[in-house]
Formats: sequence, structure tokens, C-alpha cells
Amino acid sequence: MAVFKTMRENARRKMDMPLFYAMLGLVLLGALCIMSAVNSLSWSNAIVRTHLVALPLGLGAFAVGLSFNYQIYNEQWKWVYGFILALLVGVLLFGSYQRGSRSWFVLPFFSMQPSEICRICTLLVVAAFLDRRGQQRMYDVSTLVWLGLLLSPIFGLIMMQPDFSSVVVTLPAIVVLLYCAGANLFYLGLGALFACVAGFFTLSWTYLYLHPELAETWLGNVFYQLAHNGWYMAGFSLLVAGLGWLAWWFFKQLRLVLPTLYFVLATLVVLAGLFGGILLENHMKPHQRKRVETFLAPEADPQGAGYNVLQAQIAMGSGGVLGKGLFSGTQSRLGFVPEKHTDFILAVAGEELGLWGMLLMLGLYIAILWRIVVIAYESSDRYGYFVCAGIFGMFFTYMLVNFGMLLGIVPVAGIPLPFISYGGSNLVASLWALGVVQSVCSHRIGV
Amino acid sequence: MTVFKAHFDGRLKTLLTVALVAGGVIALRLLDIQVLRHDNYVQLAERNRTQILYQTAPRGRVFTTDGIAIATNAPSFSLYYLGTAHADKIYLQQLAKDIAPYLHRTTQQVLSKLEESGKTGKATLLVDGLSTQRAVSLQELQQYYPGIYLLEESKRDYPYGSMASHLLGYISSMTDAQWRKRDPKLGYRLNAKIGKNGIEHKFEPQLKGKDGGVYLEVDYRGRVKRIIQDKKWVPGSDVYLTLNFAVQQAAEEALKNSKTGRGAAVALDPRTGAVLALASAPAYDPNVFVPYSDQELPASSKRINEYNLAIQGIYPPASTFKIITGAAALEEGNIDVTRKINCTGKYDSGPRVFKCWGTHGPVDFFDGMSNSCDVYFYAVAAAMGPAPIERMERKFMIGRPTGIDLPGEKAGNLYGPTRRARNKTYWFVGDTLNLSIGQGELLVTPIKLAQFAAALASRGNVYRPYYVDKIVSNQTGKVQSVGQPEILQRADLQPQTYDTLYKALKHTVDDGTARRAKIKGLDVYAKTGTAQNPHGPDHGWFMAFAGRQGEEPSIALAVFVEFGEGGSSAAGPVARAMLEAYFNINAPTEPVAPHTEE
Repeated sequence: MAVFKTMRENARRKMDMPLFYAMLGLVLLGALCIMSAVNSLSWSNAIVRTHLVALPLGLGAFAVGLSFNYQIYNEQWKWVYGFILALLVGVLLFGSYQRGSRSWFVLPFFSMQPSEICRICTLLVVAAFLDRRGQQRMYDVSTLVWLGLLLSPIFGLIMMQPDFSSVVVTLPAIVVLLYCAGANLFYLGLGALFACVAGFFTLSWTYLYLHPELAETWLGNVFYQLAHNGWYMAGFSLLVAGLGWLAWWFFKQLRLVLPTLYFVLATLVVLAGLFGGILLENHMKPHQRKRVETFLAPEADPQGAGYNVLQAQIAMGSGGVLGKGLFSGTQSRLGFVPEKHTDFILAVAGEELGLWGMLLMLGLYIAILWRIVVIAYESSDRYGYFVCAGIFGMFFTYMLVNFGMLLGIVPVAGIPLPFISYGGSNLVASLWALGVVQSVCSHRIGV
Repeated sequence: MTVFKAHFDGRLKTLLTVALVAGGVIALRLLDIQVLRHDNYVQLAERNRTQILYQTAPRGRVFTTDGIAIATNAPSFSLYYLGTAHADKIYLQQLAKDIAPYLHRTTQQVLSKLEESGKTGKATLLVDGLSTQRAVSLQELQQYYPGIYLLEESKRDYPYGSMASHLLGYISSMTDAQWRKRDPKLGYRLNAKIGKNGIEHKFEPQLKGKDGGVYLEVDYRGRVKRIIQDKKWVPGSDVYLTLNFAVQQAAEEALKNSKTGRGAAVALDPRTGAVLALASAPAYDPNVFVPYSDQELPASSKRINEYNLAIQGIYPPASTFKIITGAAALEEGNIDVTRKINCTGKYDSGPRVFKCWGTHGPVDFFDGMSNSCDVYFYAVAAAMGPAPIERMERKFMIGRPTGIDLPGEKAGNLYGPTRRARNKTYWFVGDTLNLSIGQGELLVTPIKLAQFAAALASRGNVYRPYYVDKIVSNQTGKVQSVGQPEILQRADLQPQTYDTLYKALKHTVDDGTARRAKIKGLDVYAKTGTAQNPHGPDHGWFMAFAGRQGEEPSIALAVFVEFGEGGSSAAGPVARAMLEAYFNINAPTEPVAPHTEE
């Protein structure tokens, strides 16, 4: 199979134009929003300049993604895997330390965040792995175990930076990929159970922090002790194990035949959830706990933790249907909206472009997701389908987290919105991802 | 059409459906925030970016007839802190240290105030009433601390201090009850000061202007970005009084320098009843209620004497009442004014011997009046009886308030046989004699006596005294006329009665007890009085009316000096000073330069 194809050859094969236009539209809107958002900052020129440099770079990345046959990532997945590890180890060794994490390569003319590229490479590697596992073995638990082994070095290195937001986006994308690849729903369900149990305990303990008076009650005290007292942990583990055995016995009496393994796994997952929660609880950074608190009670302290979300909502709400016009949003111009050109850029858009601007962005995102799904179903092989599913999962997560955060549906995670937020590495990586999708499209059946 | 078919084929499509549903939920929430709750968020955004600093508008000024403002406004500055939760600690500590001296507080107190206002995120008034000088030095600090803001406001100022203070009243902060009863249309703020007495109270709605406001645009740190709107204040309406500045000033000066420094002087225009001067001593300086923040005032300075002796002090009119006795005799007693009565210093009424204050020998009506001979009037009254005197009292409305529009005016007391009969007690000859020289239960206020003098001067017009001429709106220029001449009653006596009285009173000035009021070029008519006071020194009275030679009288006045002993010696100089000031004679009284702030 020819690995390199000339641009001319590719151009003859049809690119998906709706996806291309939606992408261009978002990039254009993003550039406008960034220019408007940073207008009042003293270093606005530097930001705009960087973004204008990142744009052609990103379009170049798109062209590279488009012109490379995507199947090369499948064939050479070991190299891609090695590339990821090399980048992540490299950034730990040579990266610069900024804002509490070591996640930047600072080069003479520009800086880059390797985890952005790694995120997409990881999806390509997972897709390749799942393609190789074959459809029959997809149902086995061994697939999940092997995948876990494959990914643990990557996530381990990312957590060493640490780059929390990278995990937040990549994990759901991998789950989406697994789901679409036909993984056993029971195991995915167990994963979800694990996340729910861990999340439940984390939220409960944070809630106890917010309301210390509840710790006086019996239930509150038990919850509190669970996180800090080994005896309580052991007691709880026994209780869960007992319940698991009881459920197994009950089903046996009913003559409902279910593999014993299911009960053992369910029990183990609940316990893992508990200990995962305990780990999270005891190792959460103050600003991360603050975010959880804000999510639980955004109005409790409008000047404190909830301030950012509240100000973002004020910005959007005051924009109304038509918006205040570019460069004239008071909330963003006067600095009430925090991180206005990165995490909260949607608030700026909502204030200055109004409802129509927000709906336009949302619509363009949905259009991108829709085209990716269409391309996935037309792909000529399973690998193309998997790649599209992974990238779909990634953009879906981006969209949910960014819009949801502003609307108070999900906690603030500090995750940029691709194409709109300022951030060169993210822009380049996202454009490359769409290039890869276009490559899947150009190699579809019947072309 | 795909190359592979599997049981999981639809999973990506399911996810797309999920994405569409999520998009729908997000769109609905956007609709909720950006359309349904748009107005609410617009308000919040506006509150975020604007800080309104109100500027107290200048109150209307108060002018005398000669156009001198006796109540005006002075610039005053307020220091605001535009609070923000994001200010850092070191900045605040430094700021607190630097501005603490201007606030008369410790650095720690200022710091906690700054931090507290940072939490609310609102503009906080740190100190108001800064003088121009202090404002200038604070303006320099404003360069270094962008969070503080100096605002020009207006402060009440009484340039002549205690001038007409009893008439003007004063302004001060609202009490709880006043705040509850305030007129919501006037837009009072909590720290507003309102008129508490006199003109300041009476014309509060007109005097109060519309406050201005500076609408500032601030960023999230509270730094002022620009002024969005500077809503200019509208000053209150100006009040024009009928007071004559020179006369008022002369009266106050002279009262202050009189024997005891306690008393009252009232001057009226006999042609209209307009008040030319109304002075009570001791007076107070209304400026003590509106000090600059750096003015050190003893706490006792706010314990002012609000007692307005001119309208609230009631005393026996003493010998000035002999005019009424004389008028009664001329009208009804059928006396021969040239007939002489021998004054031996005492008068034997039968049960009791009444004394005269001197021994005058044979005196006729004119000598009796000019020397204020008691014996002459004892004899006249004894012959005439008390009833005509009481009737004459009623003609001049003795015992009734003058009706001046000031709160708390006392009526005084009418004295006579009819009044006594109402009380179901007897009337004795001694009562008649006491009445004839204005002693006994007879009581009048200084303004009553001035009204009486004006009635004499106008040959019988008992006017209601008024002191506000007009109110001129600074906003529309509309002139509202307030005071109008109003004749309460006519004292219709025969013309020759007035002629005789005029002659007698002129004689008193030319060659009698009221010689102190003799001024070249003027026709002055006057009468003195010394009210006997069983509890201490006697009180001095002096009533007069005057006009330029050959012209009708244009000023009528009454002066009272408490414990002044002699009417002529204590009250006379005050009256003379007022007359000189009014007719601009001898010492042309220049208005004293307004007091200047240090």
C-alpha cells in the first residue's frame, strides 16, 4: 500500500466539504473571539500574533492529516506509541515548569504542549490495538486488561506532569471508542460503576467539607471516618463483600444462572471505587477541590469559588439574543470574565455575539460530530471507523465540558474549546485530527 | 453501506443521537440564560461595571433684600473607596496607612473598613466634608492608589455665622422618625441632612436640590476606567427674605454688645409688615452642624440655644404701654393735653401709694410722655377708668400672636377689667394704675411691640409680619411669591389722636427719655420702657418708628434687653444702631467680610 500520496492525487479524491466548512467557520469565529477577548489586555498583540502563527501551522497540520493515508497509523502503531512515550518523557525531562505543571516545550520561537498531540496519537494507537484484537476477542475481559496495560504508561506519564485536563478529555474518548468497537457492555458498565462510586464518595466528602455541621450526625461521621480511618474502610469492605455474597446466594436460590465472576467483579469494582475515591480525596489539590465545591454550590460564595461561573453566566445572559457586538462586551473587557481567551472564551462569545453566535457555534460543533459519524460509516475498514469514533468522542467531550461548564451543568475543568479558545498546540492538534478524519473520508468505499 | 456488519453497528449512531439531545439541552439552557433571564443578567452586568457616587446638590441660597446671601454653599469633598475583593493585602495596608490621618482613625480601623468594603464590592464612603485644602493633598494620593476617588460635593455654609440664625434654623442628619416620614419624591439618601428649624425646615422641599451622580465604569479590580455619565446636580430654589442685611447686622452687633448681651430686636416695615430685622441674643452659629471633617468642634458647640426670644419671650411692656393709655385717654378720656398735673414723685390711690420713677413737677401730656411720668398716667387712668385702656389694647391686638409664620410664637397676655371678670375675681383701682403704666399681668413679646410700633407708624394698620419675599427656582427660573402684606386689623383712631401721639413721641426723642434715638435728618418717634422684674434686674424696652424728615415712617422697631435695667441706656443704643443702619447715616455699615475657612 502506498504510504505517501501526492496532494494532487488526494485532491481528486473528494474531501468532505460540510466538515471542512464547519471547521473553517469555527476557526474564523475563534479568531474573532480571541481578538475581541484579548483586546483589553496589555499583551494582546503577542496573543493575536501567536494565534495568527498557529493558524497556518494548524492548516498545515490539517493538510498533513489529509494527505497521509490514515492506515499508516495502523501499520506503524508501535512507532506512534513510541513517539507518544518519547514526547511525554521528553517533556518531563526538558519541559518548562509553568502554573504548577511540567507540560511545555519552550523552543526559541514558540512553545508547544506535547500532550495535545499525544491525545490524538493515543486514540490512533487504541484504535489500532482494537483493530488488531479482532471482533471475537473484543468481548473478552482480556481486551480491557491488555488495553489497560497499554495505556498505563501514557496516563502515568501524563499524571506526572500533571495534566489533569488531558486525562479528562482522553478517557471519555477511549470509552466512546471501546463502546463503538463493540466492547462488552457489562465491563463498560463496571467501569461506569467504578467512576460513579469514586465520584460519589469524592462529592460526598467535599459536601461534608462545605457543611462541617453534618459531620456531627451519625451518617456524616461514618462518611468522614471512611476516608480517614482504616477500621471503617475494612468494615465497609466487609459489608460490600457480604452484600455481594448475599446477592450471589439470592440469585442461586432463584435458579437464575449468572457467572459467579460477575458478582466477584462487581464487588471488587465497588471497593476499587471506594479506594479510588479515597486516593482522590487525599491527593486532590486545593484548586481542584475548589472546583468540585463550586460545582456543588455555585451561589454559596459569589466572590469566591463560584465567582468565575457566575460572571461567565452574567456575561452570556447580558448578551441577549443579538449580543453587545464584538469588542464591546463589558464583562469581558473589564475583566469580570476570568480566563477569557482560553477556558471561558464561550462566555465572551455569548456576551458579544449573543444567542445567535452561541447557537452558531453549537450548530457547527454538532455539524462536525455529524460529519464524523457519516464518514465513520463510510470508511473502507474497521480502523477508519475506530479512528472516527475516537475523534468523535474527543470532540463530543470538548463540547459537553465547555458548554456544560458555562451553563453550570458540569464542574469547571479548565479545558479549552478546540478552534475557538486560544492555544496553538490545541488548535494544531485539533486541525490535524480533522485532517485524519478527512483522510478516512478520502479513502472511503467507492472513491 | 459498510464493509462490516456487527451487533454494535448502531452504537456510533446512538452516540450521535445522544450528542444531538445534549446539543438540544444546551440550546434550551442558552435560551433560558440569554433570552428569558436576559434582563436580570443585564442588571447584574451593569451593577458589575458601574459604581454610582451621589453628589449632594447645593441647597437653595437665602438672600436678604439687598442681595446678600446669608446661607449659601461651600465646596466639600468626599473620599470614596471603590471596593474589590481582588485588592491585595499590601496595597490595602499601604493605602490605609496613608489615608488614616485624613479619616481621624487608626490605620487598623481604616484597613478593616477597606477590607469590608472590598467584600461588598461597592463604592464605600470613607470620609466626607473634606475641605478644599485637604482634597488637594488627597488628590496626589489618588495618583498612587487607583482604588480611591475624590468627589466634589456641596456643603451648607453660613458665611455670616450666627447671622439671623433663629430665622434660618440649621440643617442636620435625619432622625429615624424623619427618615420614615420623608417625602419619597425628594429622593433623600440615608446620610442626607435636612432642615431642622426656621427657614431651613419650613422650605425644605424647595431648598433641597436634586442630587447629582457620577456613574463610573470600573473593572473587576474596582479601578475606574472612565466616567460613563456625570449627572449634574440641580441646586435648590433660592429664598429671598425681606430682611435688611445692614439692619439685621446692626441689631445683632448691638445686642451682643449691649449691657447683658441678652435680648431681642425686631424691625418691621410699617407700610407692609415686612420684617426688616429679627434678632435674638444669644444666637448660635448654624455652621457647627455642617463642619468640615478636619474642623475640631467641642461637643458642647452643638448644644445650641434654639430659644427665640423675639417671638417667645413674654415680658411686661412697661412704660411703652403709656402710648396705649395715652391713646385711650385721647380717644375716650376727653383729656386736655395741655393741662398740667403736678408730679411729686408719688400718687396716692387711697389704699396704696404708687411711686413715680422721678419727681417731674407739673407735666402736661407731652412732658408726661417724654419723661415717662408715671404720676401723669396714674391720674389720667384714674379719671378715665380701665375699660378704654382695655378697648385700646384690643384695637392693637395686644394678647394675640402677631401671626408671623414661625413656630412657637407666644401670644402674651391681655390685661384689663373684662379679662379679669372672666376669671371671676375683682378689679381694683390699683389694677387700673398698674395697667396704665404697663405693669401687672400685661405681657408682650418683642415682635408684638414692633407690630404695635408699626401700627402706630402706619396710623392703624396692624400687619401680620412676614419675612419671606419670594422663592426663585434655579431650575426653571420660576418666581413664587410667598409673603404678602396682610392687614390683620385696623386700629381706627381719630386722626388728631395719632397727631397728638406723634407729637408726644417726637418730643420724647427730641427732649425726653428717648434722646438716644435722636438722629439728624430723621423724624424719629420713640418710647422707652423699664419693666420691673421682682426676680432680678429690670428689663429695658425701646420702641420706635422713623422716617426721613417730612416723609412717612418707613421703619418701626422694638428692642428688648433682658436685665438691661434702663430702657434708654440698654436698649436705646441698639435701636439707634438699627436706625442708622437702615437710613445709612453716620457710620455707613458695610457688610462685614464673610468668615473665611482656614
